[in-house]
Amino acid sequence: MTLFSNSSLSRRALLTRMGQLGMTGVALPTALNLAAWGEAAAFNASDYKALVCVFLYGGNDAFNTVIPFDTASYGQLSAIRAGNDPTASIMPLQSELTATQLIPATARADGLQFALHPRMSGLTQLFNQGKAAVMFNVGPLVVPTTRAQFNAQSIPLPPKLFSHNDQQSIWQAESPEGATVGWGGRMGDLALSSNGLSQFTCISAAGNAVFLNGMNAAQYQISPNGAVPIWSHKQMNFGSSDVRDAIRQVLTGAHAGSMESDYLNVVARSVEYEGTITSALETASITTPFPGSNRLADQLKIVARLIKARGTLGAKRQVFFTSLGGFDFHDNQKARQPALLQQLSEAVTAFYQATVEMGIADKVTTFTASEFGRTLTLNYGGSDHGWGGHHFMVGGAIRGASFVGTPPPLSAGDTSDPNDQWHVGRGRLLPSTSLTQFAATLATWFGVSASELPGLLPNSGNFGGGAYPMNLGFLPS
Amino acid sequence: METIDQTIDTSIPSQTMEDPPDQRSNTAVQVLTLTGIGGLLSACGGGDESAAKLMLTEVPKEVQTSPLPKSTPMHTKAVATGRVPTADELFAWAERILPALFGGSPITQSSGGLRFRAYGNGTYLGVNGTDVLGLGPFTQGQVLRLGSLADFPDAAIPITPLTDNEAAQFLQQAQFSSLPGEIAALKSLGRAAWLEREMSAPRSQTAVDWMVSKGYEAINANSRYYNEYSIGERALWNRLLLAPDQVRQRCALALSEFFCSSKDGIDGHPWLRNFGTADYWDQLCTHAFGSFRALLEVVTLHPLIGVNLNTKGNQKEDGLGRVPDENYAREVMQLFSIGLYQLNNDGSVKRDANGKKLETYTNVDVVQLARVFTGYDLDFRDLTSTLTPGDLGIRWPDRRMSTRPMFLEERKHSVLEKSFLGTTIPAGTPGAESLRLALDTLFNHPNVGPFLGRQMIQRLVTSNPSPAYVARVAAAFNDNGIGVRGDLKAMFRAVLLDDEARSAAAGPTFGRLREPMVRFVQWGRTFASETVRNSWKVEGMEDGQNRIGQCPLRAPSVFNFYRPGYVPPSTRTGAAGLTAPEFQIVNETTASSYVNCMEEFIRNGLVTSTSDDLYTTGAFVEPIFKRILADYSNEMSLVNDSAALVNHLNLVLCGGKLTDATRSAISRALAAVQWNAQELQWYPAVTTLAQKKVHLAVFMVMVSVDYLVQK
Repeated sequence: MTLFSNSSLSRRALLTRMGQLGMTGVALPTALNLAAWGEAAAFNASDYKALVCVFLYGGNDAFNTVIPFDTASYGQLSAIRAGNDPTASIMPLQSELTATQLIPATARADGLQFALHPRMSGLTQLFNQGKAAVMFNVGPLVVPTTRAQFNAQSIPLPPKLFSHNDQQSIWQAESPEGATVGWGGRMGDLALSSNGLSQFTCISAAGNAVFLNGMNAAQYQISPNGAVPIWSHKQMNFGSSDVRDAIRQVLTGAHAGSMESDYLNVVARSVEYEGTITSALETASITTPFPGSNRLADQLKIVARLIKARGTLGAKRQVFFTSLGGFDFHDNQKARQPALLQQLSEAVTAFYQATVEMGIADKVTTFTASEFGRTLTLNYGGSDHGWGGHHFMVGGAIRGASFVGTPPPLSAGDTSDPNDQWHVGRGRLLPSTSLTQFAATLATWFGVSASELPGLLPNSGNFGGGAYPMNLGFLPS
Repeated sequence: METIDQTIDTSIPSQTMEDPPDQRSNTAVQVLTLTGIGGLLSACGGGDESAAKLMLTEVPKEVQTSPLPKSTPMHTKAVATGRVPTADELFAWAERILPALFGGSPITQSSGGLRFRAYGNGTYLGVNGTDVLGLGPFTQGQVLRLGSLADFPDAAIPITPLTDNEAAQFLQQAQFSSLPGEIAALKSLGRAAWLEREMSAPRSQTAVDWMVSKGYEAINANSRYYNEYSIGERALWNRLLLAPDQVRQRCALALSEFFCSSKDGIDGHPWLRNFGTADYWDQLCTHAFGSFRALLEVVTLHPLIGVNLNTKGNQKEDGLGRVPDENYAREVMQLFSIGLYQLNNDGSVKRDANGKKLETYTNVDVVQLARVFTGYDLDFRDLTSTLTPGDLGIRWPDRRMSTRPMFLEERKHSVLEKSFLGTTIPAGTPGAESLRLALDTLFNHPNVGPFLGRQMIQRLVTSNPSPAYVARVAAAFNDNGIGVRGDLKAMFRAVLLDDEARSAAAGPTFGRLREPMVRFVQWGRTFASETVRNSWKVEGMEDGQNRIGQCPLRAPSVFNFYRPGYVPPSTRTGAAGLTAPEFQIVNETTASSYVNCMEEFIRNGLVTSTSDDLYTTGAFVEPIFKRILADYSNEMSLVNDSAALVNHLNLVLCGGKLTDATRSAISRALAAVQWNAQELQWYPAVTTLAQKKVHLAVFMVMVSVDYLVQK
C-alpha cells in the first residue's frame, strides 16, 4: 500500500524520475509539478497492454440493449414495459431480434436467451465470434447487498444513488463528485515507470474524466484530430523568433499564484507534447474504416492511431478514456436510443478490427461503463434513473461468447417474492456484481497485483469469494 | 412573454419581493394613513414640502426596530472617526447600506430646519436638527425618530475615491467591459450608486425581439431561417455583446449556469432551439434582479426546461406500471434550489454526530415530488403550424409554442398525496396549487441562500469565498433589508459590493479563472464597433478544439460546463484543498484552441457565412464569406509608445493585474515585431506593422495568466 503514498517518495527516486522524464524544452514551472510525477511501482512490463473505457453518459437503458429473447422472458419484459399500450412500447419486436441473437459458446443451463438491440449487429458478431462478452447487472456497491438490507439501510450504500454526476464519479473513482483520483489513473500510477514517455500513460479523447486522474499520473487530453498546436508559437505567426520566445514565456512561464501556475502547466504540457504526438501520429495511419458522423468512432480512431504509435511514444501500458453521451432517455427513447446503440456498436467494432489490423487484438481490452442502468418500468416514452446495468467487454483476450454474472429477474414488484429481490423499486436493478469486482478483473489482466487492488478500488476489501469473486474470469489473469 | 408574466402574477407565493409582508399586512388604518399623506401632498401642490411639514408637525416616536444600524459596520471596515455626520453624509450612507429601501440617490431638499430626501413609494429620510427621521412603509406610515446623528458615526467615514484599476476590476466583475468612459462613470458615482443605477437601467431589447427584428421568424422559401440551428445562439451573443444593460446580462449569464439548460436536451428539437433558447435568456434577464421564487416558477414551466428535464409530457401514474418521470423533481432539488446536503448559512455542510454529511432529500422525496410535475405540456392549444416551403415540406410550429409557459392538463396530473421535504400536499390537490406549494417549499428551504449565493460568488468574483462572505450573501438573499426573501437584486448587490470581492482586501487564494465566453464578450465589447457587433453571426463557439469551447446555454448537460466543487487534480490549487470550477474545461486541447482562436479573432476578425447570404434571392447561392474586423483605433493611437499601449490594455482588459514579467515580455515582443509579407496570406486584413503590433499586444495580454485569472 505504500506504493500509493506520496510520503514514500524518496528524493533519489524523484530525481531519477525527473531524469527519465527528460525535463527539457518547456520548463515545468513549479517544483510541486515535478513532485507530482513521483515514483510508483513498476509493472516491469515488456509487452504492451491497453485498457479502453467507453463511457455511456446519461445512463444507458441496459434492458433495451441486452434484451431477453426467449419467449417467456421477452413476454415478461414486454408485460412490464409495454403496460396496456403496446404502441407506447420502446422495445423492438421479438421478431426483430433474430439477427442479433447472442449465441454463447456454452449454452445456458437455465435456457435463457438474449439478443442485442437490432441496431447492434457489429457487437453481436464480435460476441458470437468469441471476441466480446456481456456482464450482467453490474454497478457500484460498498458491500454485497440484499434488497432487505437496502430497505433497512442497514449496511453502507454508495452515496447519492440515481444522481447522474455522482454516479459517474463513483463508476470512475468509487467516490462521488469531488473525487480527484480514479481507478484508471491509479493503474496509470503503476504503469508510469514502464513507459518511456510517461505523460502518455493516461489519455482521454473525451475531455476531462476523473477516471484517468492518478496520484502521480496526469491525464493527457487529445482531440480526435490529434494534438492541437499553438500556431503563434509553432509557426512563428508574428514573424520573429524573438516574438515567439516572448509568447512562449507568457504562455508557459512561472507565476507565484496557484491558479496561474496550474494554468501555465496545462499550456506548457500542451506545447511540450504536441510536437511529440504530432510527429508520432504522422506515420501511424490505420486502414480499417471507421464509421463517419460518429463521435465515439472519431475518438476510438485517434486511440487506435496512438496505439499504433506506441513504439515511438515508448508506451507499454496505457489507459484510454472515450465517451458517448445522450443516453438519458426519459422520453423519446424509441426514436433516439437505437441510433446511439448503433454508433456504439459500429465504433467499438471498427476499433476492434483496427487492433486486429495492428496485430495486437489480444493486448487491447475495451469495456463499457455508464453511471447507471435505468428503471424497468417506463415513464411516458422512456425510463428513469436506475442502478445496475449490463456492460460489454471486447478484445482478443476476452473469454468471449460468454455471459458473466447473473441475469436479473424481470420483475418490478415490491413483494417478498424471490424475483423481486434484485431490484429496489420500479425495477432499478440491485447489482449482483459490484463495480469493484468488474474493475478488479480488468485491472488484474492489466498487471495490477492483488495487493495493489485496494489502492485502485477502496471497496475491494469488502468483496471476494462466494457470489462476489474478485476475479470474474472473463480475462486471463 | 405576456402569458408568462400573467402566470407569475397570479402564482407568486404570499411572500415575495413584490409583495413584502409589512405591506401585505396593511391594516385599513395604515392604508388610510398613507392615503392621507398622498392626499395632503397633492392638495398642497408641492409634494415633498408637504411631507416635510408633516414630519415637522407630528411628534416623532422613538423607533424600536430601526432598519438603520447604529454604528454597525455593514460590509465596511469602519474606523470610527468620532465625528458626527452631516445630514447629506447620513443620507448617502443610508443609500449605500440599504439601497433596497433608500434607492435612487435623490437630491436633498430642505424646509426650515429639516433636510430630507424622498425615495419614492412614500419613503423619506430626514434630519431635523440632530434628529434622524424616517417615514414610509418601513415605519408603517408614521414619522419615526431613528436616532440622533451622533448615533451614526460610520456615516462620517469618507469614501476613498476609486483608482482606475479598482474601477476596472469592479467593472469586470459586475459586467463585461471596463472602457475608459465606464471607468470614469463608476469613479464619479462610487460602486454602490453606480451598481444601483445600472441595476435599475431599463431592460434592453429582448433576444426574441432581436430575432424578430432580423426576420428570423419568417417561414418562407427565401430565408429558410427556421431551418437554421444556431439563430438562438446568435441572439444570445448579440445581446451579450451589444445590450446596454450590461450588468443585467452579466448576472443573467451567471444565473444561466445555475438554471442550466443544456444542448443535449434541446438539439433534437430544432423548432424549440432558436426561439426557446432566446426566450429562456430573456426570462433570466427579466428576473435577474427580481424574485428567485418567480424565476424558479418561470424556469419550471419553460418549454426549454420542460424538454430538457422531461416535465413536458410528464403524466400521472396509470396504475399499470407507468409512473411519473422523476427527472425534474431530482434536478430541481439537486441543482436549481437546495442541493444535496444540508447547509449552514455560511455554505458549510451540516453533519450528524458521526461526522456524516446530512442529506437534504432521499429518493422517496424525489418520487413524491415527481407527482407535482405531472400534467404539463407545450401550450399549442390555439396555435397553428405552417407547412415549410420547398423540399423540407414539414409542418413548423408557431414560435410561441417554444416561448409560452407549459400548460397544465388537470386530468394528467397526479392527485395522489405528495409528501416531500416535510411538506405534505394532500391527495386530490389540483395541479396549480400543488405546484405553488412545492415551489414555496423549495424556495423557503434554508439551503437556497447559501447554495445559490456561493455559486453566484464563484461566477462573478472568486472560486473560494470565505464562509463569512457566503453568509453575508445568503443573509441578503434571506432578507433584503426590508424583510423580503429571495430578492436577487439584493443578493447580487451583496456579491459584488462585499469587501471580500476586492482583491486588495482578499487573501492570496482570491480570484477565478475567467470563463472563455466572458473573455470573448469582453474582447468584443472592448474593441469591436457597435455596427460590427450588431451584425455578428457568432456560432459554434462551444467547440473546444477549434473555438473557445463555451457558448451560453449550451453546456453539455444540466450539470453545466463545470461543477462548483471541482478540484483540478495534480495542481497546486488542488493540493491546497481549493476548488477551481472553470478548470474542469481546461486541458491541453482547449487551452491551445483558445490561444489560436483569440489570435484569429484579434488579427483576422470573425469569418462568417450564413444563409442570410445563401437565400436572399430565393435560390441557393454560394456563401459569401465575410470578414468582420474589430476596431483598434484607440490602440493604434498609442502604438508608437509601447509602454502606454501596454498600460492601456492592462487597465481595460485586466484592471492593472499584469505582472512585470508579462509586461516586459510584451515589450520585448513589440520591439521585435517584423514585417513579413508572407503573413498577408494568413492575415489579409493586416497591412501595416503598426496594426500587427496592436494585435500582438492585445493577443499577449489576453493569453497571459495575469488576464486569465481574474483578481
